[in-house]
Amino acid sequence: MNRLTKTLSDLKDNNKKALVAYLVAGDPDISSTIQLMNLFVESGVDVIEIGVPFTDPIAEGPIIQKAHDRALKNNISLESIFSMVSEFRKHNNETPIVLMGYLNTFIFYKKLIEENKNNAIDSILVVDIPGELNLKDYGIHSPNINTISLISPTTQINRIESIAKNSTGFVYYVTLRGVTGASNLDVNEISNNVEEIKKHASVPTLAGFGIKSVEDAKLLSDCSDGIIIGSSIVQMIEESSKSKEFDRIGNYLTEIKKAIL
Amino acid sequence: MNSNKKTLPDKNGFFGDYGGKFVPETLMYALEELESTYKKLKDNPEFKNQFYKDLSEFVGRPSPLYFAERLTKHYGTGSIWLKREDLNHTGAHKINNTIGQILLAKHMGKKRIIAETGAGQHGVATATVAARLGLECHIYMGSEDVQRQSLNVYRIKLLGAQVHAVDSGSATLKDALNEALRDWVTNVDDTYYIIGSVTGPHPYPMIVRDFNSVVGEELINQSKELFNSMPNAIVACVGGGSNAMGAFYPFINIKETRLIGVEAGGEGVETGEHAAPLNDGTPGVLHGALSYLMQDDTGQVKGTKSVSAGLDYPGVGPEHSWLKDSGRAEYVAVSDNAALKAFHEVSEFEGIIPALETAHAFAYLDTLMKEFDKKANIIVNVSGRGDKDINTVAEIDGIKF
Ligand SMILES: Cc1ncc(COP(=O)(O)O)c(C=O)c1O
Repeated sequence: MNRLTKTLSDLKDNNKKALVAYLVAGDPDISSTIQLMNLFVESGVDVIEIGVPFTDPIAEGPIIQKAHDRALKNNISLESIFSMVSEFRKHNNETPIVLMGYLNTFIFYKKLIEENKNNAIDSILVVDIPGELNLKDYGIHSPNINTISLISPTTQINRIESIAKNSTGFVYYVTLRGVTGASNLDVNEISNNVEEIKKHASVPTLAGFGIKSVEDAKLLSDCSDGIIIGSSIVQMIEESSKSKEFDRIGNYLTEIKKAIL
Repeated sequence: MNSNKKTLPDKNGFFGDYGGKFVPETLMYALEELESTYKKLKDNPEFKNQFYKDLSEFVGRPSPLYFAERLTKHYGTGSIWLKREDLNHTGAHKINNTIGQILLAKHMGKKRIIAETGAGQHGVATATVAARLGLECHIYMGSEDVQRQSLNVYRIKLLGAQVHAVDSGSATLKDALNEALRDWVTNVDDTYYIIGSVTGPHPYPMIVRDFNSVVGEELINQSKELFNSMPNAIVACVGGGSNAMGAFYPFINIKETRLIGVEAGGEGVETGEHAAPLNDGTPGVLHGALSYLMQDDTGQVKGTKSVSAGLDYPGVGPEHSWLKDSGRAEYVAVSDNAALKAFHEVSEFEGIIPALETAHAFAYLDTLMKEFDKKANIIVNVSGRGDKDINTVAEIDGIKF
């Protein structure tokens, strides 16, 4: 069974919320990324979301943009990400891995994705395609990789059903009008919209974009099946990129995990 | 107007394989709203009257088709005619599109206008139409372009708009577009994004083309009037491709007219240091559309190089990719040096200082005019005037003010 599907359904069976943590591959370097992925798992993270760096990440705020730039300076490509994940898989075959990135990179590496050696990758989220579509629509056939579609506060009700049906991993509810890392959460709107999505989705609905504090995490996990945290982690990675001491990130994630249980 | 049997784009916004709508979900509704507004208004007589009235009274259209006597003599073959978009109010073709889009924004009740700009001409044109309606206006511009087009930066400010210098990435037009899209994602409810070329997600390439097609429509009438036939060729520079598309579109079914787009060859196409995706790119997705794109061997967008800020862009409008593949239009590139030489020549021969972008179209005449005899009529689309480029050219020529 696909690791993501299994993990999310186990959590649900136990009445628990999912914690998804994001980082950008190769920021500050590949070995730190693997170190961070292990730290995520130790700190209670259920799903790891790996940002695939792109020169023009139009949905990202300044914090994640800069991380993409740093990774690109290290010549990170989808190819190096696949070998990095294989490395990680040598000692972890349970934690689901989601790739989040932009269509151009995925089209470019079609073969690599279709091959998906040892089923290392569990899911792909393409930021810049309409929610009703997935990689199949762009000629990339990868039956063992499931789809995560985005639904946002501006998504009209008549599209929610078809987008939710298109998502085979989870539905990603974008919690605000804005780029990653912004801070204009409207909890009422979020909980209403997530409720609407849940009517149509057969997979869990997770909430992300703009979650920073433990309080945000708690509030949003109450009205969803789990949360995704990105910018605040990436910010801490940047601050520790010289020392490579990432304990603070572990503590932060542990605290969040405790709060959303 | 146009008699294409099968009109493109199709309902999903594709021109053949190119185009589409590749944007974050938050923008999907905004694009749908824009498309349905445009469909409702585009053939509405009141809307059309307002558009043409503004073009006539505020922009000064129609722009003349002018016989370039000395340039014609210089080449000694066909007659060279200049479509004088440089004479438009604000100095370039960009105003045609902004006049149309601001009417859409007004109709949609949007309170805030944003745009990206490279050479600054689109920023000026947008700030101008926003000022006319008293709307808040924000212009995104790469910090490198803020430097090399400082005159236009000041014009935009004089017009009451705010200029946001963008430092990310290559700090040029592509990055300004990224930042404008991010602003739009954030402020989508009250904001209208006036894209400046036939680029971006559907329906923009169609809308910008349609508004700018007034250029080609005038050319059909002016050609009949002035030389009693259709031109043998129309030559236009291609950055995103709006001035070219506006001139080409009404001619797509007029097969005797060759359509020639000139891209920025930078240091030379063979060096890889250029901004000529149709000449030296492969299909890829950038800024919401699938089109020819300059990308490296890992699927990342490559940096570009051009003396002209308005052509310094790694992508191109999807309809041009379609016209290239279908063979209806030809795309060539000329180097920075060739464009600079043409900039000086046209100034001295014709008393017209062209924009550096436009100078690329002129530079191709060196090659093209050899292919014609004296009976031929060649139109160059003079997309804009060169006042904005004086500092850049002076610096290259080693002149300090
Ligand atoms: C005078 C002029 N010509 C051409 C261009 C290139 O744009 P497009 O290819 O969309 O006409 C610009 C862009 O700034 C411009 O200012």
